[in-house]
Amino acid sequence: MEEVEAEEQQGFSHQQRLKAAVHYTVGCLCNEVASDKEIQFSKQTVAAISELTFRQCEMFAKDLEMFARHAKRNTISTDDVKLLARRSNSLLKYITEKNEEIAQLNLERKAKKKKQAEDANQSSREPAGGE
Amino acid sequence: MADRYRPDSEPTTRTLLQRVLDTADLRTPRRRRSRRTLAQRTFLESPASKRLSSQTKTTTRRRSHGARSVVRLAHVQANGDLEEQTPRTLLKNILLTAPESSIVMPDSVMKPVEVSKVVQSSRQESSQGSLELQLPELEPSLTLAPGLPAPGKRKQRLRLSVFQQEVNQGLTRSQEPPGNADVSSLTSSLSLTFATPLQPQSVKRPGLARRPLTRRAVDIGALLQGLRDNSLASAPPADIVLEDTQPFSQPLVGCSPSVHHSLPHPSHIGIEDTERAVSHRRQSIGPGQQSHISLPCSELQPQPPEVTEAVGSQEVMEARKSKESSEDEDTSGRPAGPELASSTPDLLKTKQPHQFLEPPSLPPGVAVLSSEPLESMPVRLPPRPRTAGPRHHQDPYKAGLSYYAKLFSFYAKMPMEKKALEIVEKCLDKYFQHLCNDLEVFADHAGRKTVKVEDLELLMRRQGLVTDQISLHVLVERHLPLEYRQLLIPCAFTGNSVFPTQ
Repeated sequence: MEEVEAEEQQGFSHQQRLKAAVHYTVGCLCNEVASDKEIQFSKQTVAAISELTFRQCEMFAKDLEMFARHAKRNTISTDDVKLLARRSNSLLKYITEKNEEIAQLNLERKAKKKKQAEDANQSSREPAGGE
Repeated sequence: MADRYRPDSEPTTRTLLQRVLDTADLRTPRRRRSRRTLAQRTFLESPASKRLSSQTKTTTRRRSHGARSVVRLAHVQANGDLEEQTPRTLLKNILLTAPESSIVMPDSVMKPVEVSKVVQSSRQESSQGSLELQLPELEPSLTLAPGLPAPGKRKQRLRLSVFQQEVNQGLTRSQEPPGNADVSSLTSSLSLTFATPLQPQSVKRPGLARRPLTRRAVDIGALLQGLRDNSLASAPPADIVLEDTQPFSQPLVGCSPSVHHSLPHPSHIGIEDTERAVSHRRQSIGPGQQSHISLPCSELQPQPPEVTEAVGSQEVMEARKSKESSEDEDTSGRPAGPELASSTPDLLKTKQPHQFLEPPSLPPGVAVLSSEPLESMPVRLPPRPRTAGPRHHQDPYKAGLSYYAKLFSFYAKMPMEKKALEIVEKCLDKYFQHLCNDLEVFADHAGRKTVKVEDLELLMRRQGLVTDQISLHVLVERHLPLEYRQLLIPCAFTGNSVFPTQ
């Protein structure tokens, strides 16, 4: 019983810490927007936005897990994220662009690694062949 | 009746049937008539047995004739009405009425006739349900006849011969058989030349009658005719000279720039064009369908996010267009328009309650006719090979969402304006489109092409109807009628079998 309670408290405090982190980030963003648009944000607004973000993140997480399970996978992939973001078109576009960028980066990295591996092989072969 | 010696290689109807009767068992389904038929059969079989002993056919025929002439009238009278016939009696009638030698047709043609009659008689037996004379017994007799037509052809003739049979029986019933044997034989031989199978079994067995295929081509022809009339009516008279009879003729000079103009302009203009194209096509195809399409078409406009999808589709169109030659430039302009119309619905709406694009058979037919576009809008598609795209099926209930609107007005407990009901319908339409889009995306996400129960469960989970506490089965039990519960919820039956299988 005590352990369960302790765990709960830990989880709760963990959640609180996460919420606090989100609140802080939302506050920073709001300050940026306020300085851009020259509009003030009340504290309640910031708190509302952070609460909303937190709950939405929870929902996203559950949905992502559901999507991954629906596709009979154990890991959440970019396809799941894209499925989640398909509602708003601009977000979907942004995500697909980012996805392509990442894919390109991966390809480049793989190409580099292959090159390095080939160079290493050649260098190991040459001295072997030379002898 | 001329008694001619026939070699064994040319069996006539009589001989074949005689063989059949000899080899068949003495079983009848109708017990009460068995005595009478037995008597008749023994009477017949005595000459038949005599025939078997002797080699020459002529003697047997004479004997059988003699026997038959005595029994014939008894046969005919004993048979009574058409309804109570046995196959055996039918065969007897064939023997009575079938001619020895054809009066009109030469012998070579008579062979398939006789064979078909024999086969038909067996078919009639099987169709009547009394299988006393079974097909394998008939086969040896059939294989004797050389130059048999193909089995497929035989089937066609079978229908005719059934009709013939009934005609013959009708004739024999009404008048005396010997007098009309020639007439019936004439009709039988003549009626074989008919190509179209009339409905032979219409009177007796309406369920088994094969209805002639309804040719869809005729409808398309009428439709094309209507299109032509429409287009001709709208075209200016000077351009009649320029009209080609080719399917992809160059369009009118005045119309082509407008065609080209419509395509480079993306976004809402394109949507309007597609709307118009869709609505025009609907008009040309069927005025009755228009009411369904006008509703979703009007919804296309206020949707800004769908503009980007239309743009995407247009890019696809233009890419496709660039592949085609310059000669077909105008024709490609035409298909790009309807392709736009087809693809935007593809992208936006997948499973629709209302009717949608024409069936694949239509575009080639439409393209064949195409001379000028309808009212400056590219409408016709070239017969490009249509890949298996998403299936656009018609609304089977044709009621649309009016049912739900009525429900809404019922539960509102207050009188509702018509406009309000329309808006409710629009909202419902959007809602269902959204849901079905989600379903399709879910199915695609799982790498499937069909929407399954898992997809629906996922959707309901997202909606919040299915939770960790309430499962889909619980909802099925609560809200659906009892029969669906059986179909949806797997249940174990005897023998370790689970239905429905998972």
